[in-house]
Amino acid sequence: MQALLSFEQAPPFTAPLRFFLTAPLFAMLAALLVLWSGPELFASRWTPAALALTHLITVGFMLQVMLGAMLQILPVAAGANLPRPLLVATLVHIAIALGALLLAAAFLSYQPLAFRLAAALVGSGVALFVAAAGYSLYGVSSTDPTIRGLKAALIGLSVTVCLGVLLATALAGAFEVPLLQLTSIHLGWGFVGWSVVLLAAVASVVVPMFQMTPPYPQWFAGRFSWVVLALLSLWSVADTAAWQRLEALLAGATVLSIAVFATLTLQLQRRSKRARFDATQRYWCVAMLSALAACSLWLAARSFPALAERQEWPLLCGVLALFGSFMSVMTGMLYKIVPFLVWSHLQNLGRGRVLAPNMNKVIAGKQIDGQMYAHLLALLLLFGAVLRPTWFAYPAGLALLAANGWLLHNIVCAVRFYRGHRLKIEAQTTHAAIGR
Amino acid sequence: MDDDADLVLDARDLEPPEPMVRTLEALNTLARSEKLLVLLPREPYPLYRALELNGFAWQTERRPDGTVAVLIRHQTP
Repeated sequence: MQALLSFEQAPPFTAPLRFFLTAPLFAMLAALLVLWSGPELFASRWTPAALALTHLITVGFMLQVMLGAMLQILPVAAGANLPRPLLVATLVHIAIALGALLLAAAFLSYQPLAFRLAAALVGSGVALFVAAAGYSLYGVSSTDPTIRGLKAALIGLSVTVCLGVLLATALAGAFEVPLLQLTSIHLGWGFVGWSVVLLAAVASVVVPMFQMTPPYPQWFAGRFSWVVLALLSLWSVADTAAWQRLEALLAGATVLSIAVFATLTLQLQRRSKRARFDATQRYWCVAMLSALAACSLWLAARSFPALAERQEWPLLCGVLALFGSFMSVMTGMLYKIVPFLVWSHLQNLGRGRVLAPNMNKVIAGKQIDGQMYAHLLALLLLFGAVLRPTWFAYPAGLALLAANGWLLHNIVCAVRFYRGHRLKIEAQTTHAAIGR
Repeated sequence: MDDDADLVLDARDLEPPEPMVRTLEALNTLARSEKLLVLLPREPYPLYRALELNGFAWQTERRPDGTVAVLIRHQTP
């Protein structure tokens, strides 16, 4: 067997890797922001530091991981190859990385120019990615639920970023919009229409594949993405028109559908054929439990006005969703995606004559477990920081810094492993060629 | 399809990249006239690319239980 990948079609190793190496840097920057701002950051979800932190995690960490993973998943799960993958990856990566930095700076300084530049950079980076991914998916049949989910997630991403650009331009003073209402719709589309829809589409492939579980039931996998997008669209209309009862009903239905996804995933995990859960499975488990806790808290706050009046609940919901759910699941997935990339590229370089090493040796298990415990500690301390900011804000910042520094170290180790084995393979194949 | 195959590889319960590794191993020793049937839990897009690059032809069948059966042979027997 000569080759596994076609170099003209498959993205080169560095295309997705740059996104995965940048993501922990943004989470570390978020940790430094917590340490710099201190307890004041946790006074409300609307403090400049809290808004900057949210966007360092969503645009800085999450968007980097999600776009990098999509570059890899589109060819593998949908047979869709991005045109000029390295060029697209380079441009998108630079635009969204600079855009995320400027966006955080804009929230901290309220400089109109920073908002305008951030909107232009994130907007154009995402537009380029959506255009390239849309082009690659054009003509790919939507019979498979994963492909339907990926297409739906791209719509969710487009709506989120359009609303974000609108909000940033309005904050720069270009025009007036109902800021609070648009922010809530932007957040709904970002968390649910893009992130949860993409997560569910990816889960339908990777949960059975890597966790040795049965597949998601047909009634769920086939419908989830479009039902959620339909609910979100109707909710956005009801919210804009101030139809309060309908808005509450549709928001509740959307949150319940996320709870169904999380519950089904936990049920599937219980039926895993693995004797012992690995770190990725445990990360998924933490993520789904956090998602269920966030959904329960949201529903409770909507049902009990006494709870809704407290400043802490939106922050707790945010910590559960961002750090407990999305960051956990994405970190867990990185521990499968990065070793798989290393393995497949080494296998390709070996051209059948030199076999690639076992995927499980790419990042040491102890390092993965250690990083996971550091992340869980950071999560607990962030809860503490919301409830008792003066006690826990600094320890939470330090733990978040340590956990993501460790994640970066683990990904760098995988890159070193790749480089070391690439040199060995090149030496062996050259030696074999000379020997012939 | 099952009757046409000389060798059958059931890779439905294996964790990636084992299905790919075992298929490639089996193809390395596949005689020019032989056919290999691989049973998988999903459509193997990366495998198709590897097959195309290495001179194999294949037929895919989706079964009601979700199994994807890929019958592989050399392009030029």
